[in-house]
This record gives sequence, structure tokens and C-alpha cells, in this order.
Amino acid sequence: MAHSPQTTPSGFLLPSIHSAPPFFTEQPNPNTQAQHTEQWTRIILTYARHKRLFVLRVEDAAVPGGDWDEVLRNERINRRMLPSHLSSILASMVSKNLAVYEPPKQIHAVLLYWRLPEEWADVLHSWATATGQLNTILTYYEITDPPVPSPLSNMPLPLLRRAINVLTRSGRAQIIGVADGEGVRLFAGGK
Amino acid sequence: MALQRYTAAVDGTIPIPALLYGDEELLASQDNVGIYDGLQKAPNHQTGTVHVSTHRLFFIHAQNASSCSFAMDLLHVIRTAHYAGLFKSSPKVTLFLDASTSPDPAAGAQIESDDVFESWECEVCSHRNPPGLSPAAARICALCGVPRSAVPSSRTHQISSSLPSSTTSLSPSVGSSLKLSSSNDPSSGVACPACTFLNYHSLRLCEICSTPLPQVSRIPVISMKSAPSSRSVSPPPDDGDPAKHIIKLSFRKGGDKVFYSVLRRALKAQAWEAWRLILRDNMIGSSSLAVPSPDRGSSPISRPSGIDSILRNVEASAQNTRTDLTDALKDLEALMVKAKGLVQLAGELNEKLTASSTTTPAPAAGSMAVASPFGSTSTIVVSSPTSPMFSTTTLVPSTEPEEAKFIRSSLSQLGLQMSNAPVTLDMIRDERRWIEELARELARILQGSADSYSHQKSVGIMKERGIVGLDEVWGGWNRARGIALIPPSTFLQILPLLPSYTSPPIRSRVFKSGLSVLHTPPYTHAAFASRLAGCLLMSGSQTTSQVAQEENITISLAGEMIEAVEADGEICRDDSAAAIKGGGSGSGTEIRWWNNVFREYVWDGQI
Repeated sequence: MAHSPQTTPSGFLLPSIHSAPPFFTEQPNPNTQAQHTEQWTRIILTYARHKRLFVLRVEDAAVPGGDWDEVLRNERINRRMLPSHLSSILASMVSKNLAVYEPPKQIHAVLLYWRLPEEWADVLHSWATATGQLNTILTYYEITDPPVPSPLSNMPLPLLRRAINVLTRSGRAQIIGVADGEGVRLFAGGK
Repeated sequence: MALQRYTAAVDGTIPIPALLYGDEELLASQDNVGIYDGLQKAPNHQTGTVHVSTHRLFFIHAQNASSCSFAMDLLHVIRTAHYAGLFKSSPKVTLFLDASTSPDPAAGAQIESDDVFESWECEVCSHRNPPGLSPAAARICALCGVPRSAVPSSRTHQISSSLPSSTTSLSPSVGSSLKLSSSNDPSSGVACPACTFLNYHSLRLCEICSTPLPQVSRIPVISMKSAPSSRSVSPPPDDGDPAKHIIKLSFRKGGDKVFYSVLRRALKAQAWEAWRLILRDNMIGSSSLAVPSPDRGSSPISRPSGIDSILRNVEASAQNTRTDLTDALKDLEALMVKAKGLVQLAGELNEKLTASSTTTPAPAAGSMAVASPFGSTSTIVVSSPTSPMFSTTTLVPSTEPEEAKFIRSSLSQLGLQMSNAPVTLDMIRDERRWIEELARELARILQGSADSYSHQKSVGIMKERGIVGLDEVWGGWNRARGIALIPPSTFLQILPLLPSYTSPPIRSRVFKSGLSVLHTPPYTHAAFASRLAGCLLMSGSQTTSQVAQEENITISLAGEMIEAVEADGEICRDDSAAAIKGGGSGSGTEIRWWNNVFREYVWDGQI
């Protein structure tokens, strides 16, 4: 097999398996399919981290022109991911807690956990510590859209809430209801 | 004398039902009957069978059925008497015959035969009446009830033309009473029936109008056309002797009472009378046969005609069908009852066999007779203590099971196998030998026979192919067998034995879809998988049809085999439905096969 890793225009290094046509077909053999899904999960999460993408929808496979084209399509070998195939991959990711359906009770869009909520909680806490915002009340908007770009920039609110919940449970944050929404106060304690 | 006058000879070798008219019905029969003509025994009619039908009385001679049998119309009978018999005298039935209805022996028979054996068309309704009805019934159209004799001239001509042979011989004896009338004197010429011109007597056609003239020689016949008046003259009635009008039936072996009652009933019913009455109403005394006999005083039975008769005919035939059907079903029910008995018998037989076979293996000669109460053959042999004991004891175990096996296998072949009967080893051995023979035959069919004489023509089904569908093999084999076809169940039983009779061994294989094949070693799963893997390694990827072409097998078969390999995880698929361009989800998509690219893959992308 003469497949080799390829670099996309956005600077993402695609693995060599992405150039193999069988990679875009669902495999009936369960063992083969498990390995196959594992590689796809890894590509999706790696690419999401690379481009800071938080959401993957089934429609991304159906409609070209989205953020995910570099991964879900391979023009060189004339192959693309079929929506049905993608939704089965998403289901497997959700079952492995590498993603969660967002909004819940549907299966067309997922929130990708290229960092788990626990990891995000650590990131949030260390960011607050580094920027000296402990013990002050921060609105969610201030966290996801800070004046100085941070690792938390453009983070979707559901994911942020989950991270804050993790902190709340370990006693490092307190959710405060403010007039125009919600706020959070982060503490130094716990750690 | 009475016999000659009133009876007509019939051929007794013909079965009675075939002699009957269409509307006649056989009522009773009695054998061992002799006939008295008048007061004397009729010498030619002493042993025979008497049958009485609704219309006639038959006598069929026991030995000379063809020459000495006769039939007599019941319409001649005016009175009957029964004599119960005394000592050596047999019971007798006396029939008193009516002198006035005594038929003219020649003319009557002629007319009768004309009527009975000829189908005719009613000129009123054009219904074609079938032949075979009784003389009276045959004169009336079955459909519309119009009498046949309404056909006027043609019939009288027929009669007159049939008469001369007898009447010419009769006229000299009658003499002057039949003297030609003066108007028919040859000198005065012959009157033309059309124009009344008096032609010269030797002319055959009328001089004026060319109408055929009546022949001179037939003139006396024409004058005799009104038969009844002359009939009473020609055979002088001899009423003085009553014995001339008596026939006796002597019942040598009994049965007289039953027969007599049936005969009386038939006479009372007067089945012929119904038709005669109609005849009388419609054609007033034109025929001598239709002369009514009012002295019988029978109540006139009205005969239906027109639509009513059609409906009645239909009803009658439906009734007949129904009775036939119930009779047939009765037979079937009887058979079922018998079958139940048969099954029971088989069961009993089986139990006896089981019991005897369990007791016989212990050849303790003295206790044998007691020990085997069921096995009839063994008890008979052993219970005779004086017979040479040694030979019987050695004989019993060898023959008895053989017979038992035979009987039991016959029972099982009849489908009467009992549930409690064990399937013996012998039966299995027989079946196994059979199956083995079949396997050998199938091996010959598949691989060609090794015989030297058929070396050039016998090429087996699998000679050139390594893998063949089971259906094709079955069909080919049965075609080779011609008859005595092999059922699929037996065929499947044979397959496991096949490898031991073939070289290289041919094995059967069932795919996931249920497709069954026979294959040679190169087409085993492992061999095919390694071959496919090597092929894919060289060429990168292949479609199913390419593989099929390579392996020289059908595409569907290749698909089955490849999918089996895929199930092992050796290869993976690339469906062209996932193509960006030119793919799509149509029927034109094809699957390409790759070696498993996921297995042993090490991540070489971005971390």
C-alpha cells in the first residue's frame, strides 16, 4: 500500500489511512469495524483540537463546504464519508464518552470532548489563576469571549457549564445568579 | 305354441342390462328355472335364469344362452297364478296370456327393430331422440311429447316395403279373401297417385306428370295396409284351447315367492301402459300396437311433456348422480374401517415380534415354550420335545430375527411403523449400505467413471470445475438416473460420505446465505482465502467480478466466498457508494476488496 500521510491546507497532518478507500466504507466485520471506528475517532478528535472545533453534525458529511471537509472528504481518492456512516461513528464516540449529544435527545449533532469536562475544568481554573480572576464573579460571556484570547475562547456554553459543574463539585467554584444571566466565582481552594 | 307366439328370441350371451330399453329397469332375477309351454315342459328351456323388468320377462338358458333364450313383453300377461309346490313338484308361476295382443310374428318384430335401433328427429321440436327406448316410449318425442307417427307417409311406406316377403308367401294360402279388387285390374291401368291419370300397367312413371307409379306386384300389399282387420283373419284364432295361452315358470330351487311378488308389482305398475295411453290420445288407433286395452282398467298415468319433462329429466339425472356418489363414498368409508383394522393388526404383529425377539436369545430349551408365549413360530418348534433339540435351537435364532426384520421393514415401508418399535441395527445397516452405494454412484457422476470402456465419454460434472452448486449436482444426478429419482433428503444424507469415495476428496460447504456447494480441495475456505490475499497484495484491490473471473466461478459464488473471507477479517471492502463523483447509491455501485488496511495500522497522523 502506497499510502502516505498528507498535510491539509490548514496544516493538519492526515494519517496515511485516510488515503485508503476502504476507510470511507462501513465494514460488516465487527472486528474490522471496531478498528476502523477507532481510527476515525482519533482523526476527528485530533482535527477538532487542531481547528478548535467543538461541534460535529451529521449534516457536515452530507453538505460540502463546512469546517470538516478536509477530514470527511478525500478528493484525491474520490471518497467521502456517508452521513449514515458518520452517525454510527458519532454513536460509538458518545458511547465511549468522547462526545455527548448536544442538545440532548437527538443524534444529529455532538459536542466533541477532545478535552474532557474535567480537563476543561483544570484549564479554566488555571486560566483564572493566571489572569488573577479568582474570587471575582465572572459571567460566562467573560470566560468564553475574553479580551485577550485564551484556551477558553469560543467555548460553547454547555461545555463550559459542565466544566464549572466539575469545579463546583470539588468546591472550587460557586455558581451565582446575576441579573442578566449566570455568573461564577472561582476559588483557589480545593487544590 | 304359446312360447312361439308371444316370445322373441334374444342373444342370452349379452348381459341383461345391455338388453334393456332406455326406460326399462331390471327388477328381479332367479336362476334354476324351467319353462312349461302350455301344460308341457318346453324341451329347450329347462334350466336357466329368469329376469323380470318393468317391461319384459327374460329367460336366459344356462348352457345354450345364445340360441335358447327369449324375451316376452309383459303386456301380453292378463293373469297370473301361483302354485306353491307339493313333494317333488316344484313351485310354479303360471302366466295367462292375452290372445288379442298376440303379435304378428313377422311384422311386429320388424317394426320393433326399426323403432328401437334408430335415432330419430322430432319434426315438431327437432329434438334428436336417442335409440334404445321401449317400443311404446320410442314413438313419442322425449322432449315435446309429440308422437313420432305424426310423420305420415314415409313411415307407412316403410312398413309396406318391409312387408312383401312375408305377405306374398301368405297370400296364396289365404286365397280368395285377398282377391284383388276390380279397380286394380291390370287391364284398366294404374292410377297415378299425383294426377290420377290411368297409366298402362307396365309403365313405371306417369305418362303425364312423370310421378313414379306404384308397382303392379305391390298392389295386394297396398290393399292390406289397414292391417288390424286382416290380421284377425290370417292366423285363425284358436281360443278353444287355453293351454295355447299359458306359460309356466317352474322354480326348481325356490325363490318363487319373491319373484312372484315382484312380477305382480311389475304387472300392476304397467310401465308400458303409460306410453300407450299417450299414444292412443295422440294418434287414434293408427297402429296395431297402440290398440288400447281398456279391460285392464288402469288409472291413466299422465306423462309430462315440454318444459316439465325437461325439468324432470334434469332432476332425475341429478338424483342418479347423488345416489352414485353416496354409493362411492360408502365404499371409501368401508375401506377406512378396514384400514384401521390393518393398522391395529400391524401394531399387534409388531408387539409380538418385539416380545419374541427379546425372549428367543436365551435358548434354554425347556423353558422356551413357557418363556415365549407370543412368538408363535418359536413355540411350535420348541414345544415338541421329541424333535431333535439341537437343530431347532440353532435354527431359531438365525431365522427368526431375519423374518422379524423382514416383516418390520415391510411394515415401515408401508408407513405402519409403530412408535414403540426400535429401529434395529439391521435396518440401519441396510440403509447405510444403500447410502454408501449411492455415494459411490454420485462420485462416479461427479468425477467421471474410472471404467475403461467409458473412458472417452464419461466426463464428470466436476471434471473441469472445482466448485458446483448443490442444486446443479442434484439435478444432473437425477437426470443421469433417469428414473428412480433421489429425494433431496437422501441426497443430503449422502454428502457426508462423499469424501471417502472421491479423490481428490469432494466436500460440501454451506455458505452463510444457505447456498450449498460441492468443492474440491483448491476451493476450501483456507485455500481460497490465502489465494485471495496474495492476489490482493499484488494488485492492491479487486472487484468481485474480477475475482470471479480469476477463479472461473460465478459472480454470486465468488461473492459468497469473499464474504466468508471478509468475516474472518482478512480483507475489507470499499463501497463505491461513498465516492464523491460518479458514485451514488445506484445499482451500478460495486464493491472493491482490499487487504485489511486497519489491522496492524500504526497512527502516522498529527498527534
